Amino acid sequence: MLSPRSLRNLKRELSRSALAKTGIALVVLVVGVAALAPLVAPHDPTAQNLDDAQLPPLGFSETENSTTTEVVDGEVQIVNETTTINATAEHPLGTDSLGRDMLSRVVYGARTSLLVGVLGTFIAGGIGVTVGLVAGYYRGRVDDALMRSADVMLAFPSLVLAIALVGLWGRAAYRIPDPFVLLGITPDMPASFVLPGTVVVVVGLVNWVWFARVARGEALSIREQEYVKAARAVGASDARIIARHVLPNALTPILVLGTIQIAAIVLLESALSFLGFSGTTLSWGFDIAQGRDYLASAWWISTIPGVAIVLAVIGINLVGDWLRDALDPDIEGEGGGV
Amino acid sequence: MSDSQRDVLRVRDLSTRFFTEEGQVNAVEGVSFDVRDGEVYGIVGESGSGKSVTALSVIDLVASPGKITSGEVWYRNPDLAEEFRAERPDAVRDEFVDLRRLPKGVRRSLRGPGFSTVFQDPMSSLNPSLTVGEQIAEAVEVQRRARANPRSTRSRTQGYGLGKFLVDSLVPGRDYTGEESHERAIELLDQVGIPDPAQRAQEYPHQFSGGMLQRAMIAQALAGEPDVLIADEPTTALDVTIQAQILNLLRDLQQEEDMSVVLITHDLGVIARMCSRVGVMYAGQMVERGSLSDVFDDPVHPYTQGLLGSIPDLENPAPRLQPIEGNVPSLLDSEMGGRCYFADRCPKAMESCLHPIEMHDADAGSDEHEARCVLTETDYRPEEALPEGYFDGGDGDGGGGGRETDGSDPEAREEEVRADD
Amino acid sequence: MSLARFLLKRGLQGVFVVWGVVTVVFLLRFITPGDPISVIAPLDASPATRQAIAAELGLNRPLYVQYLDYLVGLLQGDMGYSYISNTSASARVFARLPATLELAVAATLVAVVLSIPLGVLSATNRNEPVDYGATTFSLVGISTPNFWLGIMLVLLFAVEFGVFKTSGRGITSARALSALATGNLDVFVSWLTYITLPAITLGTYFTALITRLTRSGMLDELGSAYVRATRAKGLPETLVRYRHALRNTLIPVVTVLGLQLGTLIGGAVITEAVFAWPGLGTLVINSITGRDWVVLQGSLIVIGVGFVLINLVVDALYAYLDPRVVSD
Repeated sequence: MLSPRSLRNLKRELSRSALAKTGIALVVLVVGVAALAPLVAPHDPTAQNLDDAQLPPLGFSETENSTTTEVVDGEVQIVNETTTINATAEHPLGTDSLGRDMLSRVVYGARTSLLVGVLGTFIAGGIGVTVGLVAGYYRGRVDDALMRSADVMLAFPSLVLAIALVGLWGRAAYRIPDPFVLLGITPDMPASFVLPGTVVVVVGLVNWVWFARVARGEALSIREQEYVKAARAVGASDARIIARHVLPNALTPILVLGTIQIAAIVLLESALSFLGFSGTTLSWGFDIAQGRDYLASAWWISTIPGVAIVLAVIGINLVGDWLRDALDPDIEGEGGGV
Repeated sequence: MSDSQRDVLRVRDLSTRFFTEEGQVNAVEGVSFDVRDGEVYGIVGESGSGKSVTALSVIDLVASPGKITSGEVWYRNPDLAEEFRAERPDAVRDEFVDLRRLPKGVRRSLRGPGFSTVFQDPMSSLNPSLTVGEQIAEAVEVQRRARANPRSTRSRTQGYGLGKFLVDSLVPGRDYTGEESHERAIELLDQVGIPDPAQRAQEYPHQFSGGMLQRAMIAQALAGEPDVLIADEPTTALDVTIQAQILNLLRDLQQEEDMSVVLITHDLGVIARMCSRVGVMYAGQMVERGSLSDVFDDPVHPYTQGLLGSIPDLENPAPRLQPIEGNVPSLLDSEMGGRCYFADRCPKAMESCLHPIEMHDADAGSDEHEARCVLTETDYRPEEALPEGYFDGGDGDGGGGGRETDGSDPEAREEEVRADD
Repeated sequence: MSLARFLLKRGLQGVFVVWGVVTVVFLLRFITPGDPISVIAPLDASPATRQAIAAELGLNRPLYVQYLDYLVGLLQGDMGYSYISNTSASARVFARLPATLELAVAATLVAVVLSIPLGVLSATNRNEPVDYGATTFSLVGISTPNFWLGIMLVLLFAVEFGVFKTSGRGITSARALSALATGNLDVFVSWLTYITLPAITLGTYFTALITRLTRSGMLDELGSAYVRATRAKGLPETLVRYRHALRNTLIPVVTVLGLQLGTLIGGAVITEAVFAWPGLGTLVINSITGRDWVVLQGSLIVIGVGFVLINLVVDALYAYLDPRVVSD
């Protein structure tokens, strides 16, 4: 699907862009952590330990000064008391309000974000590319009807539509057995992983328009190419022409858009779980929401998952920039954010 | 030297390099030429020979990653000479000033009244979102403001900044250009032969045809009443029938306004028709120069001879260059050896061509006829000819040969074409 | 095509989109599990009571009758009656609309005022510290979830320094501005303490996005042939930049802004949730959790119509900037 020239451009761009290298490193890190979560996480992310609640991250041991007054020998004296909450190496990123290990939660959160991001992008891409190719290939009324309905979709902000749909349809979730636990490699970790099914479908449904717009534009120009005319002349069916000729030649911009869309959907997922419209509690957005109540006493509970989101999304966006700069598909500004 | 033979421009040893990721590209290398008052001076060469970059270097418009690395551009301007004689004695010689040694602001202020330019592609050389009249009026307005207040003209802004831009955008009717400038713009459009100029002035570039747009570009170039008009491939992007009209227009205007024109083209027919003197460029160097008859009747350099090969006579020139076997070199510094750059394509290449060649007086033709070729000094000796395929193999890079023509990076070639066009 | 005809055409397309929005919103009720009656009816309601409620709501009529009825109601400004909040939906929605508009306008102003100069500065000082700073900012800005940014701002400026308010709206912007006009600075400043953090939270993504677009657009334009020609005719660099390059840079920027309007509204929803800003966003979330479908429908319609209207403004701006749009 990528021509040798494209591959050479990708290599060239990668060799000269430090940002592209940073992006790939970040993405490899996040994907690796997500895939090997049970091996990377030091604790079960759901294990509560109220004795160790709200431990700060390493390097942020907190001392609390409290001042009380006492009456000693008829005189009022001010007594300073200092209590120290020590960070421990056992919980390098601290613990949350229920004593769960932050590092482990961040590691497992990567799984949710990436799975939703990638699966959601596939759903959005599947719908959008089909609609776009059909609209662009047939033009005329089919195009008008499909693209006007895309306009209607655009009029609903994806986040608003997503929470409406999740709110209406409920929060279905699927438990996927964790292979590492199944094989007995990490028996202490959660036996299954929760995939928020409704969210995956919904984020796909609300983001297909971007793919449709790009695919349509490509189809409009590809249908005028000689090889498509030739295929039509020898009597190939429309479906076959679209699948064999139009789609393969439209893939480059779709690939670039898909990358940017993963980042957008990761952000969208985090927003949904932040608002409580998700099927899982092991998610970066959910933890940020949890930590809001403890901002004054335990700032890290909200801060750390947010840093994880930013790093993951920066990584994906940098990879997207790299692909865009190298392949030059001219799709600036397509794809929503949160 | 009679008065009409005075020089207005003397370019000396001008070199411009592009510092690209593939390496240093020597787009212009030690180019020298003189332009006289009221003449049309032609610079001819293939695409990629550095002729456009030469023009851009003269008007100091070489864009990054390009940079003028050495050379002098002497421009006759008694006022400036007087102004800078005490301050910058090195930049003044008689009535001439060296533009490269003058402050940037002064150089900029000469764009318009000193030099103006007509570019190759009129469609992309005008701003698509301003009316044609407005863009010409702008060129008038700059000079009007310059005359009104010569000092502040050399500032970067002429009192126009982001704030003014915002106000102009938000408040209709407020603008940089005044009524007078608009009237002058319409006169100029009329002068270049655009019918119904008042109406056309209010139209946008995309509403013009290519030929009309090039006329508008010329009107814009005339707005500053320049001493030297640089026309960079002014007819290349146009239909053949329109080309003749534009050339006639340029010639008429040159005589009416008594300006000097530097005409850059790859088209020998255009040169023959328009120019009194001509310089031939190859691989960033000027390889032959002289009067039109010197170069056309008595060419010395085998490259010039090759160019002229298919043209039977001056009265009936072929419209296009005859291709010469081989490619223009990449101009990458790392691939340029110290030799005659044409040697790999030259039918008369000898061992003595493997050293750097200087400009020499040619015996034939007038006094000013010069060529960068050993044949000006010696006759061709077949016994010293380079063996067949000397430059094809990969082993001769010490001697400056061995440049692969097929394997050279296509990207680098694109880069270099862009730099030129 | 004249500007008027262009806008008329866009307006007609907008009417079609609004009709689509209304239809989708109407149909949302029918792709929802659970019937609307059980939301209102007491848990132990008899079938007869349910029938009565259905009749009262008109839910026993054929679908197309309900649909036409809904359309006619909407044209009269009636979005239905919410039995959950015991008010008309339109009253609730329009009570909340000004707060959201205020927030969106403030954020857009912040974004436009900061990003365009930053993008220009970045492009004209390419590969210098200011460029690296601006590109880093825009990369981080488009990659940061705004609700988290809001929380971090709260942590920093409200919890640590206690400068800004972290929830609610205070007074309306109209009152704040009239206070400013009458020299009542205290009132104006107190309004600022409310709106600053939400506006930054919502505006950062757009500031980053527009900075990025302006920078890349300016770089393209500054390298273009007409800019070279404009320099060659002697125009001062400032004019070349602002009068020529920036103007043409804004054309794609405006296009993208129109496309990203949904992101602005979506961002407003979540920003409101973070700062308890009493706007449409919190209304949408509350009506979903409270299963108040009538109010949800009304909110979605207002958001959709708002989107179409603002897009018309964007189209007009686009046509103003790019003469090719209306004359081709």
